[in-house]
Amino acid sequence: MKNVIMSALAAAALLSASACREPEDPGVDFAVNFKATYDSARLEKNKPYNFDATQIVVQRYRLYLSDIALIKDTTITPVTDVVYLDFTPDQAASDLSATPRIVFSGIPAGEYDGIRIGFGVNATNNAKQPSDFPAGSPLANEIDYWLGWRSYIFTVLDGRMDSDKDGNMDLPYSYHCGSDPVYRVFTFTQHIHVEEGHPELNIEFDIRKLLLNDNGTYYDILANNATSNLVTDTRVAEDISSHYDTATTIKQ
Amino acid sequence: MRKVLRIQYFGLLLLGAIFFFQCRDGNTPPVADDGDLTDIPYNPKPYTVPKPAHFPEVPFPADNPFTVDGIALGRRLFYDPILSADSSMSCSGCHLPRGSFTDNYAVSTGIDGIAGKRSSMSLLNIAYATNGLFWDGRSPSLEDQALRPVEDPIELHTTWPNVIEKLKKHPTYPEYFRKAFGIANTSEITKELAAKAIAQFERILISSGTSKFDQFINGNIDALDEEELDGKLMFFDEGAAYNLPDAQCFHCHGGITLTGNQFFNNGIDSVASLDDFRDKGLGGVTGNRFHNGKFRTPTVRNIAFSAPYMHDGRFQTLEEAVAQYADNGFGVENEDIFIGQMGFPLGNGKYSGLNAYHQRALVKFLHALTDTVAINNPDFQNPFK
Repeated sequence: MKNVIMSALAAAALLSASACREPEDPGVDFAVNFKATYDSARLEKNKPYNFDATQIVVQRYRLYLSDIALIKDTTITPVTDVVYLDFTPDQAASDLSATPRIVFSGIPAGEYDGIRIGFGVNATNNAKQPSDFPAGSPLANEIDYWLGWRSYIFTVLDGRMDSDKDGNMDLPYSYHCGSDPVYRVFTFTQHIHVEEGHPELNIEFDIRKLLLNDNGTYYDILANNATSNLVTDTRVAEDISSHYDTATTIKQ
Repeated sequence: MRKVLRIQYFGLLLLGAIFFFQCRDGNTPPVADDGDLTDIPYNPKPYTVPKPAHFPEVPFPADNPFTVDGIALGRRLFYDPILSADSSMSCSGCHLPRGSFTDNYAVSTGIDGIAGKRSSMSLLNIAYATNGLFWDGRSPSLEDQALRPVEDPIELHTTWPNVIEKLKKHPTYPEYFRKAFGIANTSEITKELAAKAIAQFERILISSGTSKFDQFINGNIDALDEEELDGKLMFFDEGAAYNLPDAQCFHCHGGITLTGNQFFNNGIDSVASLDDFRDKGLGGVTGNRFHNGKFRTPTVRNIAFSAPYMHDGRFQTLEEAVAQYADNGFGVENEDIFIGQMGFPLGNGKYSGLNAYHQRALVKFLHALTDTVAINNPDFQNPFK
């Protein structure tokens, strides 16, 4: 009899505990529009842009972002662990850069003070390779994985420059930034309101600013026209990645 | 006595006939005259495509998952000349295992003896090509691609309605379609289902992962000899520490499948303007002038078996192909930027090119990508032989 009473009490306690638990917040859909720009205008492939006293064209721009999170005071709300953005897909008939729109589900509605973005692939994921991820994962993509360095290529920025200002785009530049020392995390202060149906968030990356030094001068493409292939020499790659702080704009 | 023997003889024949029909392909009843197939069991068995551990998961579309019977049907269709107007040529006519699923001709020739304008592409690891198929990327998926050669006048030169009629009347195909897709009647055989089956088969054509290169990256450092290793270091731009130049190959032939399946002008045509390419490639599909002369990068896995090379088969040997790249292209406006960066940097965007040793080492490395296990895989071969 004692056992029966004890069991009944335990069951009642369990039922009451589960009844009192607050239902989990299912969150809402949170749409983000990504855009590549040059001097604030939508980036166009193969279009000559003024750069310092000469001109450049952009032919490829692809990017990994990791650990995107919304910030409120000291609370961090994860949005996604990884995003892959190809602004210059091969087969697009138009030379206008793509504007990927990604909807993240289950994001708690509310007010946030800012957003944190990792530029590249975080060290945990970068220690793996495409075969470690399920088909369809951005990290299963082999295009931007460098077998030689055992690293994802975080940013691909390729194009040409008119090095001698004669109207010919004679100098190729290729910035393929990868490996753990090149990973950068920046937090951008911006009031962000997350609510179903609320205006979407816009994140823009400006190539001109990506190619500006911290002091506002133009990056010396002629002297540094490519990232090094030596795994120990990440100087140019780190230069470029560091500029995402100023090259990124968040709007809502 | 003779009468008894005759009765026994006919009895045995009758029993034999019953046994034959019952046992055909696993006790499957024959197709009814009205095309009803519902007496044939439909038990789709999911299939996991074998792949080397260091290869990514084999992708497939949600509406065409692998099944044992789907692959079996696709394999028969792939090798069966029933898909051509005069039943003389099949998909395998241009994609033979011994050529790493190419035909080893500069350009392929269809049933009427008319030569096409491009070389057949290798189907090895084609499952990973999710960025457009054919040299010009005009087809978005294997399911779409498989539909096209049947009606192409310089390939199989027939019509799908003709092919479907032949398949419906065939003694075994209705049963195969039933088992693969669960159709209830022969009238439900469609070109779309045929293409799905062919696509399933093509997606299983995966490398074995046993090439010398695979052995090397899986930890057997003795798998490559010195020259092959030098070639590998140049191929992947890892040679700077060993006084080896960059050959820039992996920018196009990247990833473990050694193709990013992207589109490039790889610097083999000297043209005065972008309008002058004899074959416009991707540009002919998109209409974008800057895409003229760009083609999808083929895999270099098993490249030793798939000569001749390039979209028009202009190079007979790997030596010729590598030599073409060694000189940094022609400087055409849309030539890929890496074509102009072969060799040691000389400053101001100039590069040294690749010398004879570098070229030889690269060719040796390309031979180290040979995978005879894949092309001899019994599951990939002609089921009618």
